[in-house]
Amino acid sequence: MGASIYKNKKPLFVFLLPAFLFMIVYLYYPFFKNIINSFQHIKNLGQITATWNDPWYTNYVELVQDPVVWTSIKNTLVMMLVTIVGQVGIALVLALLVDNIHAGAKFFRTVYFFPIVISATALGLLFNLIFLYDKGMLNQFLEALGKTGLTDWKDESHALFTMMLPVMWQYVGFYFVILITGLNNISEELYESASIDGATRFQRVRYISLPLLHNVICTCVVLAVTGALKVFDLPWTMFPKGMPLKSTFLTGTYMYYQTMEAKNVDYGATLAIMLVLLGVLTSKVVNAVFKEKDY
Amino acid sequence: MKRRVLSLILASAMVLSLAACGSKDTGSASEPAAKTESADSGASGEEAKAEESAKQVELNVTTTFAGEDTNAQNFKNAVDAWCEKTGNTVADASATSDETFKTRVITDFETGSEPDVLFFFNGADANSFIEAGKVVSIDDIRAEYPDYAGNMNDDLITASLVDGKKYAVPVNGFWEAMFVNTEVLEAAGVAVPGANYTWDQFKEDCQKIKDAGYAPIACALGNIPHYWWEFAIFNHTSPSTHLNIPESVDSDQGAAWVAGMEDIKELYEAGFFPENTLSATDDETFAMFTEGKAAFLIDGSWKVGGIVNACQSDPEDASTLDTEKLANFDVTYIPGQGDRKATDLIGGLSMGYYITAKAWEDPDKRAAAVDFVTYMTSDEIVPVFAQHTASALKNAPEVDESTFNPLQVKAMAMMSGVTSLTGAVQDIFQGDCRVSTFDGMPEIVTGRVSAVDAVAEGIEAYHAQ
Repeated sequence: MGASIYKNKKPLFVFLLPAFLFMIVYLYYPFFKNIINSFQHIKNLGQITATWNDPWYTNYVELVQDPVVWTSIKNTLVMMLVTIVGQVGIALVLALLVDNIHAGAKFFRTVYFFPIVISATALGLLFNLIFLYDKGMLNQFLEALGKTGLTDWKDESHALFTMMLPVMWQYVGFYFVILITGLNNISEELYESASIDGATRFQRVRYISLPLLHNVICTCVVLAVTGALKVFDLPWTMFPKGMPLKSTFLTGTYMYYQTMEAKNVDYGATLAIMLVLLGVLTSKVVNAVFKEKDY
Repeated sequence: MKRRVLSLILASAMVLSLAACGSKDTGSASEPAAKTESADSGASGEEAKAEESAKQVELNVTTTFAGEDTNAQNFKNAVDAWCEKTGNTVADASATSDETFKTRVITDFETGSEPDVLFFFNGADANSFIEAGKVVSIDDIRAEYPDYAGNMNDDLITASLVDGKKYAVPVNGFWEAMFVNTEVLEAAGVAVPGANYTWDQFKEDCQKIKDAGYAPIACALGNIPHYWWEFAIFNHTSPSTHLNIPESVDSDQGAAWVAGMEDIKELYEAGFFPENTLSATDDETFAMFTEGKAAFLIDGSWKVGGIVNACQSDPEDASTLDTEKLANFDVTYIPGQGDRKATDLIGGLSMGYYITAKAWEDPDKRAAAVDFVTYMTSDEIVPVFAQHTASALKNAPEVDESTFNPLQVKAMAMMSGVTSLTGAVQDIFQGDCRVSTFDGMPEIVTGRVSAVDAVAEGIEAYHAQ
C-alpha cells in the first residue's frame, strides 16, 4: 500500500462533490435560468408559468434603446474610475505615509479601517443626514461660514458626487490595510542600503516601495473595479429609484429597480445578463492593463 | 483500504450533516404528529391533553401594521391578547406598506412560502394570488364556519377584480385629505380652506405662502407623488367616472388624466413644491410640514398618527405629546375642480384579512386561522383600529371622542362634511403601467417627457397586462 494512497485521487472528488452541487444549485442553475427568463414575459418574481416574448429578443432591443441603461453604464464606469483613483490611490498615499512613521502606525491602521465594519445601509443613513437639504450637517456648516441659501446636495448637478464620496470613503481603509501589509513585506535591508547610498526618502518610495508593491496594487485595482460593479446598498439607501430624474442609477441599482419596483422582472433578468457581460469584459481589460509581474 | 473506508465515512458524514441541516424543519414539523399518535394510544385524559396541544399552532401572519403605521402598536397588543387567549403563537412578518413589501408578498405566493393569514390590499395587487387560487373566499369559509365575518356588512366588503368573489375581511377604512399647518397659513395670511375650496383659490393661496417664504406644498414628487397623482386626475373626472381606466390617451378619460398631470406640472413650474422636491424623500418633505416650513400635505388617514408622533418628544410615549404643537395642525378638504367638489374625497376599505389556501388545507391551522381573523375583525377590536375612519361593521359602536387626540377630533369633524368617498384608481392601475407617471413624474414636471406620452405609455402597458 504505502505511498500508493497518495496516487489515488478518487476520494478527493467525494469531498469536492457537496460544494460542487451547492454551486450548481445556487449559482449555475439560476444563472442559466436567468438567461431563459430574459426572453420571457414575467410579471412577478418566482412566477412559474411565463410566456415567451414576441419577438423573443424584445428585452434586448429595449436594453439598447433605454437611455437609463446608458446612464447606469456611464455612472458605473465613473464609479470604477473613482474607486481606482479615490479608493486605491488615497489608500496608497495613506499607506506610504503611515509606513514612514513609527509612533501611532497601529492607531492609524485602526482609524482608517474602521468604516469597513459599519454596514453600508447605516452609512447611507448617516450620509443622508450629512447631506440633508434642510439643515443637514454640511449645509449648517456652510451657513456658519456665511453662505446664504441651502444647497441641494442631491440635485442633478451634485448627485453623483454625493453618491460616490461615501462609497469611496468606506473602502479606502480596506485597500489601505492590503497595501500596508504589502509594504511591511518589503525587506528593511533594501531601504537601509539605499539610505547608505544616499537615496532620499522620496527616492526610496519611488524606486523601492512602488516597484515592489506593483503586484499588490494590481490586486487592489482588480478588486476595486470588480467591487465597483457590485456597489448597491449605499447608493440605493441614499438615492432610491435613481433620484433625481433617474440620474444616479448604477447597473446594479437599475436591475434591482426594474425587478422589484417597476415589476418588470424579465427586463431585470436582461439587465443582469448585461451586468455579467460588463463584469467579464472589465475584468479582462483590467487584468490585461494591470498585469502582475514576476520578480 | 482502511483509509479509503475512513474517507468514505467522512464524506458520508459531511453529506448527511448537510442533509440534516436541510431537513431540520421537516423534523420539527413532524414532531406534533408523533406526539399525537403516542397520546392516542394512552388514557383518555392524556388524549384530551394531546388534542389540546395539537390545536396550539404557530400562525405565520403578514400585515402592514408596522413601522409608522398608526395601528402598529394596536396590532401588537391584539396579537398578544389573542395568543394569550388561545395558547397559539404568531410569527409576525409585518412590514411597512410599499412597493418592495408588495413584491415580497407576491413573490412569497409564487414560491409557495405565503403566510397563513395576510392583511393586504383588495385591489389589483391581489389579482395574481387570487387567480392562482391561493386564498380562500369568504363564502367558502362560511360553508364550514357560517359565522365567519358575520359581523360585517357584506355590501361594504370589496369584491375581487378577478372573479367578483369576496376574499378580504376589512378592518379599518381610509380617507385621503389635506393636512394643513395653521401656523404657516397664519404667517402667510391665508385662511384654513373650507368645504367650497376651489383650485383657483388654492393656487392664489400657494402664491401667498410662497411669497411669505414658505413651501406651499409638502410633497416629494421624485419619491411619493401618489396622492397628488390621484387627486389631480380626480379633479378632471367625477366620483362616478373616476375609477374608469382610459381606453386610450385620446379618449375623454385619457384627456382627463393628461390634464391632471399638466396641473401638477403647473404647480411645479410655479415653485409651489419644495425646492428639492425631485431629490427629497417623503420623510424629508413630511418633516418640513411638521416643522412649520410647508403649509399643505395631501396624505391618508394613517398620517394622523404620524403627525401626532412628530409632536411627541418620545414617539413611543403618548404622555410626551406637545398639545400646543399639535394644535397647529388641521385636516381639511382638497381643492376641487369641475365635477369634483372639494368634499368628494378618496377613501374606502382597500385592505382586509385573507386566509390562504395553504392554511385552510392544513387541518391544524384551519381553525386557528379562522379564529385569528374572527378575533381581529371582531366588534371589540375593529373600533380600536378604525378610530376616526370608517369600518364595515354592521353594528359600529358609538365613537368615544373623549379618547381621541385633538387632530383625530378635527378629522372626525372633517369627515362629517364629506359628500362622497371614491376608491383610488391607482389601486386598479397596478404594476409596470404606473411607472411612466409615478416614477416618471419628475420627467413630466420638468418637461423632459410630455404628459401625453407618459400617460399613453402607462395606458398601453395597462392594456397589455
